[in-house]
Amino acid sequence: MLVARGLTRRFGMITAVDAVDLDLAPGDAVGLIGPNGAGKSTLLSLLAGDAPPDAGSFVLDGRSIAHLPLHARVRAGIARAAQIPQTFARLTLRENALLPAQHGARLPARAAQLWADEVLALCGLADKAGSMAGALGLLDRKRLELAKAVAARPRVLLLDEVAAGLTEPEIATIKALVDKLRDGRAVVWVEHIPFALRGTCARLVVMDKGAKLLDGPFDEVWSHPDLQRIYMGVADGRAA
Amino acid sequence: MRRFELAALCLAVPAAFAAAWGIDPGLQFLLVEALVLFLMAQMWNLAAGYAGQVSFGQQLFVGAGAYALFAIANATAVPVWVVLAVVPVLVGLAAIPLGMVMFHLKHAYFAIGMWVVAEIAQQLVLITPWLGGTGGLTLRPNGEPMQGFPEQLVLGLALFGSVALVVGLRVFLRTPMGLATLAMRDNPAAAEGAGVDIRRLHLILFALTAAGTALAGAMYYTTTLYTSPLDAFQVNWIVATMFIVVIGGIGTLTGPAIGTVLMITLREVMTAYGFSGDQYWIVMGLISIVTLLFLPRGLWPALQAVLSRPRATT
Repeated sequence: MLVARGLTRRFGMITAVDAVDLDLAPGDAVGLIGPNGAGKSTLLSLLAGDAPPDAGSFVLDGRSIAHLPLHARVRAGIARAAQIPQTFARLTLRENALLPAQHGARLPARAAQLWADEVLALCGLADKAGSMAGALGLLDRKRLELAKAVAARPRVLLLDEVAAGLTEPEIATIKALVDKLRDGRAVVWVEHIPFALRGTCARLVVMDKGAKLLDGPFDEVWSHPDLQRIYMGVADGRAA
Repeated sequence: MRRFELAALCLAVPAAFAAAWGIDPGLQFLLVEALVLFLMAQMWNLAAGYAGQVSFGQQLFVGAGAYALFAIANATAVPVWVVLAVVPVLVGLAAIPLGMVMFHLKHAYFAIGMWVVAEIAQQLVLITPWLGGTGGLTLRPNGEPMQGFPEQLVLGLALFGSVALVVGLRVFLRTPMGLATLAMRDNPAAAEGAGVDIRRLHLILFALTAAGTALAGAMYYTTTLYTSPLDAFQVNWIVATMFIVVIGGIGTLTGPAIGTVLMITLREVMTAYGFSGDQYWIVMGLISIVTLLFLPRGLWPALQAVLSRPRATT
């Protein structure tokens, strides 16, 4: 479904993302981890469309989208839930979800209303649909951020540390939610908390120094000596 | 459209006729001025309060509207009322390429940049002989003196137009593009992340507010029958507009109405008590400072907060 080849992004002398290849199929749930500065967030913003890549190709369902601006990327089928929820404080929750349904998913009026309500219900926000987003607590704002991304009906859903700052039971609710959202789409989830990814992401990608280091089934990658090495600083992985 | 919005539109028609034929000419002129200022303020409010396009160059479109009207009406046999309908379309279309250039400037640079464009336009008109240069233009449709009482028709138009604008804006804010505008007011980056083409939306709103302001300017100068560069492109237009919107409550549809009433009332009362000239501008400035210090969001949001505050039960 999504095929990225040689994605590269440089900032001056620094290569933040260095020739990364990534393939995603519907139903994939990919955890993306790596130490600080590994290039996870930059890769995510290349996929989301904040900036065009300096090199590389990026094809979604046979259509090259590497140079589409952000809003066109959303319409093409890639949506991101940001680490810090980017909600519309002076709009109701329903309106928050309606906007991406209308403009991202490009649904006609009635269908957009129904879809927005459905997404809110899916994210456990149905009872608050009429209240203002500005009045929400952190967990609900994270849920709304997810709802906004899902309401755009993306083929690829990018999650940028959506569990950060939450307690373990709260993370569990977000995990259950992501499980439900995986249907028919691919999910790429950047997270520092392995607990959040385990069980939800069947596949794990490890980045280090801008390059993709490991990519495979969760448990296999998780116990890989290289992973221990880059996280623990152990020379030859014997700590595993 | 909701029922009371439809009712407001229907009521506006007889009210416009009654105002046009039942009020003495002096009051008519005052009402025209108030309504024209309200229209301009509501347009600047849409641009600055909703779209975030704070501009100090609104007078550009006032002057453009006035000069487009006079130039076309004087040179052709097209009736003035038809020209009045065409002018906003022309100015709105001309605003699109201008917006494409000006949106490269952000925030304060955009605001000042628009002011510079307005000054350039004024200077260009001053040195253009066929636009009357420094002497200005008199409205002489097809070369003949203007017939009838333009303030009557303009008052009717402005009154109906003001009601129609508020109803239209309310309806607009409920459409998908209106929702995108409201979302852009809260968080432009997130709106783009929801699939909104922010650049296109900015251009559309810029063109619409330019068109509306040009129409208001054209209506005003139809009643004065005379325009000059120093008058039509004067900074006072944007100063009054900003006063009305900021004092009334920026980003609300009711605020500009309150601001307009306050400003016109203040001026009329002060002139009635013999304060001549521009002394009311001093008082307006003081009111602005006090309001912004104590009610930074303006009078209408403050009033709303008071009205909706739950009362103590004891």
